[in-house]
Amino acid sequence: MLNELLLSFAEWLDTHAWSTNLHESYYMYNWVEGTHVLTLMVFLGMLAVIDLRMLGLAFKDVPASTIAHRLDTPMMIGFVVMVVTGFLLFYAIPVRSTNSIWFRIKVVLLIAAGINALLFRNKMKGAVNSWDTDPLPPKRIRVGAGLSLTLWAGVVATGRIIAYDWYDCHQQMSSFMYWAAGCVNELAALEQAGG
Amino acid sequence: MDTLPFFEWLDTSILADISKAYGGTFAIVQVFHLLSMVVLGGMILTSDLRLLGVVMRDVPVDTVLDNTQPWINRSLVVIILTGIFMSSAVAIKLNYNEFFWAKMASLAFGIFFLYAIKRPLLRGDLSELNAWTPKVLAIASLTVWFTVAASGRWIGFS
Repeated sequence: MLNELLLSFAEWLDTHAWSTNLHESYYMYNWVEGTHVLTLMVFLGMLAVIDLRMLGLAFKDVPASTIAHRLDTPMMIGFVVMVVTGFLLFYAIPVRSTNSIWFRIKVVLLIAAGINALLFRNKMKGAVNSWDTDPLPPKRIRVGAGLSLTLWAGVVATGRIIAYDWYDCHQQMSSFMYWAAGCVNELAALEQAGG
Repeated sequence: MDTLPFFEWLDTSILADISKAYGGTFAIVQVFHLLSMVVLGGMILTSDLRLLGVVMRDVPVDTVLDNTQPWINRSLVVIILTGIFMSSAVAIKLNYNEFFWAKMASLAFGIFFLYAIKRPLLRGDLSELNAWTPKVLAIASLTVWFTVAASGRWIGFS
């Protein structure tokens, strides 16, 4: 049911002239894509610096809250640019993205990374009066930072692999994979052939 | 200088055999290339924005440079190693790709600029330098590394 809804929405987006124009514009599409990739260095680059401090692997001689607060603004600027360009990239190729298993895993990882970031932020609030200047923060903070880096690395990895067509709907796959990738028509055809 | 023989050799090397035979390996190496770019970019940006006085003004410049440099070194090593592997998959094509050469030129200049100009100049007593020197170095550094990343991305589009 959800797969059908998502596909209908993607097909509706695909009927927009702007979606087609963006996809077919060599310079515009590549500029948006290039900006999305390059802004990784701003958003995730700043996040990596913060997380490495929380892991006790960098800036051990600087209070953790100083690193987190001072890099927050450039990191959030990077995040906004990534979200805007990310939506534009989805808008340019809505159907294939909706039916990409990698894109779906990326969205799940993004949600998990977002929840982890919210929990992490709350833990950080207690830093100033306790472990702020410790070179090696407490274990719960290190676990949160490690999880953050792992989840975001997963987002980057799945984002990059969307470009490969290994599990696109036109490939021969199991019914589970058709369902997971949201290949509604292919799954129906497979079930009809099987039944 | 004729660079084709080198790329022909790379095209028949064991690296090329692996990268062409297993698409998954190429994709995984590409992800590590991208992740090390994130770390390199983050560390360069942090140090250059500090030099420009945009972030971490309450943290001494020396502290920021000393903490970012080890991660810049590590990520550069990973970027170069994964980059060589990725090049082997499309070696002959790269020899004729102008964005690849733009990236190689800017990367070589970026490494030279970092280790032969920026670091030595900032290693001494900063108060002896002209107040604009760190800022000019930061702008030059950001421009060079942006060119490396942007021309690298454009290899895939050209």
